Amino acid sequence: MSAGNTNAMDGPMIECAGLTRRFGKFTAVDDVTFSVGRGEIFGFLGPNGSGKSTVIRMLCALLEPSGGTARVGGFDVAREPERMKPLIGYMSQKFSLYDELTARENLSFYGRLYGFHGAALRRRFDELVALTHLAPYLDRRAALLSGGWRQRLAMACALVHEPAVLFLDEPTAGIDPVARRELWGLLFDFAARGMTLFVTTHYMDEAERCSKVGYIHLSRLIVSGLPDDLKRLPEVNPAGTRRIEVACDHATAGLRVLRGLPGVRSATAFGQSMNLLVDATVTDGAVRASLGAAGIGMVDVRPTGPTLEDVFVALTDRANGGGR
Amino acid sequence: MSVFRGFRAILYKEFLVVLRDPFTLFLMLFPPVLEMVAFGYALETDVRRMRTALLDEDRTVESRRIVERFVNTDTFRIVERVGSAEELAAAVRKGRVYVGIDIPPGFARDLEAGRTARLQVLVDGSNSSVAGSALNTAVALALRESMERLASAAGVRELPFEVRPQILFNPAMRSPNFFVPGVIGVVLQIATTFATAMSLVRERERGTLEQLFVSPLRRWGLLLGKLVPYLLISGVMAFALFAIMSGLFDVPIAGSPWVLALATLLYLFALLVLGLLISTRAQNQMQALQFSMVFVMPSVFFSGFIFPRDTMPVVFRAIGACLPTTYFIETARGVVLRGATLADVAPHLGVLAGMGGILFVLCALRFRWKLG
Ligand SMILES: Nc1ncnc2c1ncn2[C@@H]1O[C@H](COP(=O)(O)OP(=O)(O)OP(=O)(O)O)[C@@H](O)[C@H]1O
Ligand SMILES: [Mg+2]
Repeated sequence: MSAGNTNAMDGPMIECAGLTRRFGKFTAVDDVTFSVGRGEIFGFLGPNGSGKSTVIRMLCALLEPSGGTARVGGFDVAREPERMKPLIGYMSQKFSLYDELTARENLSFYGRLYGFHGAALRRRFDELVALTHLAPYLDRRAALLSGGWRQRLAMACALVHEPAVLFLDEPTAGIDPVARRELWGLLFDFAARGMTLFVTTHYMDEAERCSKVGYIHLSRLIVSGLPDDLKRLPEVNPAGTRRIEVACDHATAGLRVLRGLPGVRSATAFGQSMNLLVDATVTDGAVRASLGAAGIGMVDVRPTGPTLEDVFVALTDRANGGGR
Repeated sequence: MSVFRGFRAILYKEFLVVLRDPFTLFLMLFPPVLEMVAFGYALETDVRRMRTALLDEDRTVESRRIVERFVNTDTFRIVERVGSAEELAAAVRKGRVYVGIDIPPGFARDLEAGRTARLQVLVDGSNSSVAGSALNTAVALALRESMERLASAAGVRELPFEVRPQILFNPAMRSPNFFVPGVIGVVLQIATTFATAMSLVRERERGTLEQLFVSPLRRWGLLLGKLVPYLLISGVMAFALFAIMSGLFDVPIAGSPWVLALATLLYLFALLVLGLLISTRAQNQMQALQFSMVFVMPSVFFSGFIFPRDTMPVVFRAIGACLPTTYFIETARGVVLRGATLADVAPHLGVLAGMGGILFVLCALRFRWKLG
């Protein structure tokens, strides 16, 4: 996949500084600064209404920023939108398609829109169908496609012109796990070929797969960086604490017990195991003993690192003004 | 070509969307035709062959002769003969007839004796146009009858005075001829403004507009791509309406059909652009509907469609002067009824073209290539 004619040979493909957007008195995006390099997969996370879609829309020149600057592919989105647009593909949160048209017609419309004709159109069409496995559904109306196939079709449409930067707004919302994994497989392929990806998601497991993540909370970007760097942040690993993973035969009961144990700062359940942030003074033996006293067996304690979720929770707490 | 970039793609898609759904197409084409037929018949204000009841208490040659004269005007049609004044009044009251004619006993005798012979005409006043027409005809008939009798009594062969009106256009003075071109104007307005307004607003609602905004499509390409298919469709619709006019309502086109076609095209263009302009403001289909109505209502009242503009207060006349419908109706009436030539209607066509052009530019300027 070729990566268009960009203005940024070596610099970042997406770069924003102090990006701000107000709707009336409400500030939906407040002073957001980050950058994404070529071939990176940037995972953009944040609660509902935190401003993720608004950031994407500004980066796609769909919304005027109220302040700050944004450059995509080296072009200023506010000043040179027409030069920037050919570089980008955008798949909106709604998978917007023409419901009364078939999958084939939708895709071929976007092909024509991007200037493909005749044999070139047919060739590109076939490539995209092969890429997204849409072949069996080509003659079905978009309105009748299930969520997963709508998403594939919308993505095929966004990829028609081989964009250098692809913006995907919650591409996996409402999609089954298999389709989700397939989509991520595709995204890794694209990134490997030099495409830059900007993906919003609510799924932590997807965030873990990104080469870079950003977390936005109440319109402000709380953090952005490489997942491993974020996990090493001092805010996430307070001095005098350690993280342990505790497996046992009764995790829900165990969670209640451990939350009552002095020195346990937080405890989260993951299926049959729990992740704990505890004071360094709390020994594995103390954990085993308290669970044993409650009649919970098959206890296994091992040290672990923070997850991205731990990172976001810790940083959100701090942004909200201190821990629990 | 670059300012129109994406035009052909949009055109392709619009045609697919329209053709994909024959039912929607039908919904777009059929109501105007229906409205036209309904409007056309409803506005038939000519009163002819009114249902009339007769009470002839005289039963003479003279009374039969006067009834015959009534019937010969073509305004009255005797559908019922009754035996008493009560029955006559009841027939009118119950709505079986519009008019009751009562010739009292002694009608012929009075006539013979040179006394004023009276006959009574009961008219249902609840329908004003019927009442007016019945009244006029009856009075005119009585006058003429009286004059002729006076003249022959005085030995005068010819009446001293006669007006011979010659109606130049629409000689039968049929109101469909007058109304139907106006109906076409209004009906076209309802269908077209709406169609383009909806089509763009739907894209906004569904989020496909966002998708178009990030593509290399240019605004002129989008606007024109939206206009052309609807121009064709509404052109076909206009053709059907004019065909109904001359076929069903028997209104021949006195002037050149080409001039009429040109006027229609300019009119449709202005209306479709108005629809686009509405869609630049409206955020959803409900708003598009409301905005469209804002333009449709004045077109019904102030365009001269029903009420002559000359007698309107100046404010209403000014509103009418801003509406494309006003100029279309003027032109259509001119061409259809008076056989007006291209030169005759050129000023109106100029205004229509100007309106379309200005609206289109306004639309392109107003149409922000952004959300929010
Ligand atoms: N056009 C607009 N006018 C006014 N307010 C808006 C507009 N667009 C977004 N907002 C507001 O801005 C805030 C951020 O919206 P945004 O869609 O960016 O959130 P998000 O992070 O994408 O949420 P979600 O996860 O639910 O998609 C919300 O409170 C939303 O109501
Ligand atoms: Mg969103």
